[in-house]
Amino acid sequence: MNVKDLIKSYGRKKVVNEVSFEVPKGKVLSLIGPNGAGKSTVMGMISRLIAKDSGAIHFEDKDLTKWKSRELAKKLAILTQHNNIQMKLMVRELVAFGRFPYSGSRLTPEDNAMVDKAIEYMELEEYQDRYIDELSGGQRQRAYIAMVIAQDTEYVLLDEPTNNLDIYHASNLMRIARRLCDELGKTVILVLHEINYAAFYSDYICAFKDGYIAKFGKVDEVINKDCLKDIYNVDFEIIRVKDKPLSVYY
Amino acid sequence: MNKVNAHRRNALVLAILAAAVILAVMLYLNINSYPEKPQLHAYIMSLRMPTLVCMVIASVAIGAATLVFQSIVNNRIVTPALLGMNSIYSFLHTAAVFVFGTGSALYLNANLAFGVDLVLMGVVATFVYWHLFKKTGHNILYIMLIGTVLSSLFGSIQSSMIRIMDPDEYDALLNSLVADFNNVNGEIIAFSIIALIVIWAVLYRDLRQLDVIAMGRDRAINLGVDYDNCIRRLLFGVVCCIAVATATIGPVSFLGLIVANLSRQILRTYKHSHLIVGAGLMGMIALIGGQLVSQHIFHFTVPVSTFVTIAGGLYFLYLLLFKKGAY
Amino acid sequence: MCLSAFSLFLGAIELDIAKLIAGDWEQVRILVISRIPRLLAILCTGVGMSVAGLIMQKLCMNKFVSPTTGATIQSAQFGIALSMIFFPTMGLGVRTFFAFALAVIGTLLFVFFVQKIKVKDTVLVPLIGIMFGNIIGGVTNFLSFQWEINQQLSTYFSGSFALIIKGNYELVYLVLPLVILVFIYANHFNIVGMGQDFSKNLGVNYSLILIMGLSIAAVITASVIVVVGQISYIGLIVPNIVSMFKGDKIRGTLVDTGLFGALFVLVCDMIARTIIAPYEIPIELVAGIIGSIIFIIMLYYKLTHGKRGKKGVKAGE
Repeated sequence: MNVKDLIKSYGRKKVVNEVSFEVPKGKVLSLIGPNGAGKSTVMGMISRLIAKDSGAIHFEDKDLTKWKSRELAKKLAILTQHNNIQMKLMVRELVAFGRFPYSGSRLTPEDNAMVDKAIEYMELEEYQDRYIDELSGGQRQRAYIAMVIAQDTEYVLLDEPTNNLDIYHASNLMRIARRLCDELGKTVILVLHEINYAAFYSDYICAFKDGYIAKFGKVDEVINKDCLKDIYNVDFEIIRVKDKPLSVYY
Repeated sequence: MNKVNAHRRNALVLAILAAAVILAVMLYLNINSYPEKPQLHAYIMSLRMPTLVCMVIASVAIGAATLVFQSIVNNRIVTPALLGMNSIYSFLHTAAVFVFGTGSALYLNANLAFGVDLVLMGVVATFVYWHLFKKTGHNILYIMLIGTVLSSLFGSIQSSMIRIMDPDEYDALLNSLVADFNNVNGEIIAFSIIALIVIWAVLYRDLRQLDVIAMGRDRAINLGVDYDNCIRRLLFGVVCCIAVATATIGPVSFLGLIVANLSRQILRTYKHSHLIVGAGLMGMIALIGGQLVSQHIFHFTVPVSTFVTIAGGLYFLYLLLFKKGAY
Repeated sequence: MCLSAFSLFLGAIELDIAKLIAGDWEQVRILVISRIPRLLAILCTGVGMSVAGLIMQKLCMNKFVSPTTGATIQSAQFGIALSMIFFPTMGLGVRTFFAFALAVIGTLLFVFFVQKIKVKDTVLVPLIGIMFGNIIGGVTNFLSFQWEINQQLSTYFSGSFALIIKGNYELVYLVLPLVILVFIYANHFNIVGMGQDFSKNLGVNYSLILIMGLSIAAVITASVIVVVGQISYIGLIVPNIVSMFKGDKIRGTLVDTGLFGALFVLVCDMIARTIIAPYEIPIELVAGIIGSIIFIIMLYYKLTHGKRGKKGVKAGE
């Protein structure tokens, strides 16, 4: 996937300005930056939820807008921040919706097998017949991810997946994102607030500031004193844990 | 509760509802029908049958329209009627007669009038509500407030037009223009059944996507739904269903709200195919049962719509205040 | 603005007189018996309804509350229906009393209800009010069908100045002393409108003033309903339009609100009478059409211009 000169304005304010980058295939890419830097908007545009003003997004050498929605849904899945579905829905039924792009509402045996696999992968077997509004926040988030897994796409986009989760569930979730890439070979793109999660679990980081890309590169190229100071206007110390650069600020 | 049980339970609930409908129909047709006097019996039947069929048609149309609409806007307390779709229909119907006069074929031929209304309604209302959604950014409280005001606006314009047309015979003209339970529009039964079937057939593919659409825009797009176009077509269907219901039995404001929510509550499922059937059946029970009560307990003095308004209004306040999650 | 209001309703009087003087002396009698009462009734209605709306908006701290959206009108009608059922032979006095009592009770109920459950969303409050009114209206309907007075009631309720002649409209004068009362207590209402803590801090008895203000608004509305019938939206839009130009202090805007209300009703009445002369459309309908269009424009305006503020709130959450 390749993004070129993306621009988006709300009113007079340009929230995304001439953003270009290429998504490294089979890796984990995190988008970071201060509030309002445009990272979530970029995510929205590459997942076709938000219309772009100008620029081009190429996905597998074809313009994103030229794709049929249903075909794209087999290649690319997004999990947004707002997950308040008001339906009486069991976990298994939710996960089964991931197969909708393939079979509509009638599931084939292969679909059911995929659903089983996704539930198993997220360790949700014991919850699969529970209604989603009866679950805790962490469990529900896992159920949504299971749906994305069942969708069986090459690309998985997660918009601030750690929001509203406690440290335990948040770090669990990051590990899952890593495993999606390492074990299932997916390309994972995340929007993250937590710099350290990005540093620890990603391969590449794209840092935004005021709608521009401040820095794009491998983790070590972005997570260093000068670069972070430039993005966040705060002094950072970098310490290395398990050979990853973690930042400390105060 | 596991899945198989839930399914069996829902099937049972639907069966009970269906049985209740049949019971209501039997009661409605047979109480005080004087089977020993064939002529009187035939006369009573000729009055009751069209009313019955119209109520059934309207129940299905209102139930389906409300459920679809709620899933489109992703909200449980709005209904097409609350947003004034009924009044828009009555308004357009009156406007057509107003423009072409009471002597025209449009006033005299019920089926022609209905056809014209349906087309007008489809275009005007779809445009109005589509614009409303876009403009308010799907802010549901604004949509509702504007909707209620719109319905009073169209109501006022309609009454004014009727008064301008014929200030002396206001009530008579109003009666002939707007159907109600004791004065159903029996002439268009065949047409409205055909209309409903055509709508269903045309929108079949979109209706199949409803379960996904109900999860919200982002999620539906993620799962490969052509969202905007699909919504617009479904909205068109909703509008037409409301037109059919209003044309046959007149405006009933809160019926959709009650049956759609009860259906969701009783049938604990997300599947629209089940929910719509449930809502339709409950609508029939409410209308036919209400008509029974109105006929035999209040002797026609109190129209069914009065009960529906009181019960529906209370239920609406309850939803608005105590089911915060609903909007 | 005052001037324009004055000139316009002067114009309206002259219009009437010109038409009448052209005839013979007999016409003067019509003038005294029908035209002048009508004009006065119109003016009182306009002033009363818009002032009532203004008070309710101030006290509830919500720009969308008014007799129409606060269940006052329907409560008063409910009262009239009750009086017709239980005291069918009694005259205007009993009817008026019932309308007053029920209007006050209904309005207070609504306001306390809304405050009790702490509805914060500006748009939710009028919605609840409208529904509340719908339910009361439904009950009224039910009773009227049951006691077969619906014919009588529906002519009674439909807002129209057509039936106003000398001898049956004087009740509407009650609006005047009440408006003067409002003027005297304007500052109190302003303070109460800023909230319970605020008024306690300034030594104002919150509940007393709140109840008093709402009661006055309800009684004004009820007296208009008894005499004229239901006229929607005046109490809602007039105060809003005036406050757009004049700001939010009650005493400053009270006079303008009253005058503008009178002007609004007058214009509606002229439209109502001329459009299908010699018949007339009930003013209720004209006011309903013009009023609801203006109200929708107001909502649109708020949507387009209030966005920045709303976004700030959302981000803060």
